[in-house]
Amino acid sequence: MSSRVCRTCGGSDIDVDQARGSAVCTSCGSVLEDNIIVSEVQFVEGSGGVSSAVGQFVSADGPVKAPLLGSGFHTSVGKESRAQTLQNGKRQIQQLGSQLQLNQHCLDTAFNFFKLVVSKHLTRGRKTEHVIAACLYLVCRTEGTPHMLLDLSDLLQVNVYILGKTFLLLARELCINAPAIDPCLYIPRFAHMLEFGAKTHEVSMTALRLVQRMKRDWMHTGRRPSGLCGAALLVAARMHKFRRSVKDVIGVVKVCQTTLRKRLTEFEDTPTSQLTIDEFMRVDLEQECDPPSFTAAQHKAKMQQLEQELAKKLDEVEGQFLLPPFLFSDPEDNGEVLSMPSEPEEVESEDVELQAATHHLTEDFLCQVIQEEEGHGMKGDREAEPEKESMGPHRQAASLTSILGQLPSAASLIRNQALRLPSGDHPQSEELDLEGIDDQEIDKYILNEKEVQVKTELWMKQNAEYLKEQKGKKKKSKKQDQIEALTAGEAIERMLEKKKISSKINYDVLRDLNRGTGSPTRSPDHTPDTTVARKRLNRRRRRKTSDSNQDLAANTSIMGKRTVSVVTETETPAETESNPPPDSAAETSPTLPTAPSPMEEEEEEEEEAEEECVSALQLVGG
Amino acid sequence: MDSSNDEALDIIITNVVATFRTRCHLNLRTIALEGTNVIYKPEVGKVLMKLRKPMITASIWSSGKIICTGATSEDEAKLGARRLARCLQKLGFKVRFSAFKVVNVLAVCSMPFAVNLINFTKNNRPIASYEPELHPAATYRIKNLKATIQVFSTGSLTVTGISLLTRLNTHRHIKYLTPFYVQLRRHIGLRD
Repeated sequence: MSSRVCRTCGGSDIDVDQARGSAVCTSCGSVLEDNIIVSEVQFVEGSGGVSSAVGQFVSADGPVKAPLLGSGFHTSVGKESRAQTLQNGKRQIQQLGSQLQLNQHCLDTAFNFFKLVVSKHLTRGRKTEHVIAACLYLVCRTEGTPHMLLDLSDLLQVNVYILGKTFLLLARELCINAPAIDPCLYIPRFAHMLEFGAKTHEVSMTALRLVQRMKRDWMHTGRRPSGLCGAALLVAARMHKFRRSVKDVIGVVKVCQTTLRKRLTEFEDTPTSQLTIDEFMRVDLEQECDPPSFTAAQHKAKMQQLEQELAKKLDEVEGQFLLPPFLFSDPEDNGEVLSMPSEPEEVESEDVELQAATHHLTEDFLCQVIQEEEGHGMKGDREAEPEKESMGPHRQAASLTSILGQLPSAASLIRNQALRLPSGDHPQSEELDLEGIDDQEIDKYILNEKEVQVKTELWMKQNAEYLKEQKGKKKKSKKQDQIEALTAGEAIERMLEKKKISSKINYDVLRDLNRGTGSPTRSPDHTPDTTVARKRLNRRRRRKTSDSNQDLAANTSIMGKRTVSVVTETETPAETESNPPPDSAAETSPTLPTAPSPMEEEEEEEEEAEEECVSALQLVGG
Repeated sequence: MDSSNDEALDIIITNVVATFRTRCHLNLRTIALEGTNVIYKPEVGKVLMKLRKPMITASIWSSGKIICTGATSEDEAKLGARRLARCLQKLGFKVRFSAFKVVNVLAVCSMPFAVNLINFTKNNRPIASYEPELHPAATYRIKNLKATIQVFSTGSLTVTGISLLTRLNTHRHIKYLTPFYVQLRRHIGLRD
């Protein structure tokens, strides 16, 4: 009881008597409170002498509304959505967890995680089963149970990586640091599945030692722990004279045959594999190895280096042969030089091209030189022209002309290359900046007509199934009609005919808001109403609904509602347009015949609403 | 030590991803039937077009949004994007080149030593994460630089992020991490 101030005298000395339940001011004697409410637990004796506490437990995050009737009445109506989500989640956790054989403690922890996740709004946009699987896996990791993510994905038939993504996200958001997986955890589980009988424990121990050795040898970083376990178990089984084939192990461990083989090979490469079984059990080698991928990468690097050196040496050897022809101008040495016809030409041609490309202005000069050469050629003059050092002996003239013939292309190449260098600032406008884009090349990317035809045929044949599907879909959606209306109000009206916007609005009342004194128009509606009340499928209500829609349209436009674009409705196949509209309203008739079906449902619902409304109106006296 | 490491480290940008818009509706079927080097995926609703000159693959959507991947530099990406737009223009669409933006850059680097991923993750708990069941590398996310670094046990790294656009930033990333690596160097004298 908080110490209060007395109302009459202002004194703060108040005596609270719990037994009598009264609060009295000691200075003036006025009674401040009678029948004080006590928050204590009361006990009641039930049948058979059992005493039970009076009252119910209300959870903090339970429904806001207190349970209405008694303790045994669980209503699902009126509960908050949050509570529903949690309840649903709990149920799914229990289900999945029992399949994994997790104990109750784990399941409770998982549920706590789930509550955290829900409170952080991380379930939005994710399937509940994924979130629950991630929560369960989180628990498995923190508790260290031998469950793999693969098991969960097996149960749910979901891709492992999707579950993994969810799991990683949750772990990050909840700031839970799951300890790294130790392959040793999985060994007992797999050993059990491989059925070693009485010797399961021994085999497990051997396998454990093997795995620890593998860890020391850096085989386990970046690898799936199940692969290592598989390899270790296989070796352990063989060591204890059990015949387990690779296939058996794979079935249990769920890795590929190639992976298992690879792990075994890697283990073979370590020095430990050279030990005998007894030695292995006793001795632990001090030496550690590099991870296998690291050694492989280094091996590759070495190979590359070797190759480079080889290439260099080859060049040197070639170079020795290449030098003489340039220096030689004697006709006698023709024979020697002729023995290497290809190489000097190639080198020279490259040189020539480069030089011509860079000094393409000297094209003319080259042509002159060629003419001179050809003039001299018949005489067999082998002297290298001093003007062009790379011109070489006369017999190269033929090749030169061919080379020079290619010069224009080389020159154009250079020109293009120069242009293709990206220029500085591109204009900010949205117009495409064509600088640096070679139109000719782009044209190559576009097929000409014949090719298009061929490709079209091919494509149609290939994708015939897909096209059929699309056609089927289109047919269904094509029954939508374009709304043609003169005014916005009309458009709304027609739209409303086709689609009922909300089931929670009593359209009739809405209609009546607008129609204050429109009672005479209502009387013709009444008679069709009564008939319809008996025959639900009577379609003559169209008139009424059209009127209602007019009013609704007016109302909606008044309220400034945005017109919803007409969504296509799937037409029920049974619908026919057999019932002609009794309506004489010309404007509505063209559209009405096409929309009898969607109206049907509206009619039925509106009927009931209409009936109620009628009675209300009658009561009111309208 | 940092400067010497920088010189020794070779950071190579291997992939630049960029997006742009053509501001007009594209008919995917036309593109698929009239272009060379195109793959049409009607289920997803896009066309993959591959260019040769800058080696670029572009995903083209009918709304006019295009994503270009495979370029080795920012300039190349822009060039490739413009070529692509030109190609679409020639096919008959009123293409306008707008909103070109580089979205992601991927660079590769390699350390001369191997890394112990488990210790690495332990020491950098919330920032680094390692799931051997899912991916062989440990992921390290630098929030202020908005980059993700994937560390493999062989010592190679891949750095991903928009902030990698300037070479300076790339170096900054590596500098950031080198002290961690130094801690975790495996002290075995087998390296060349």
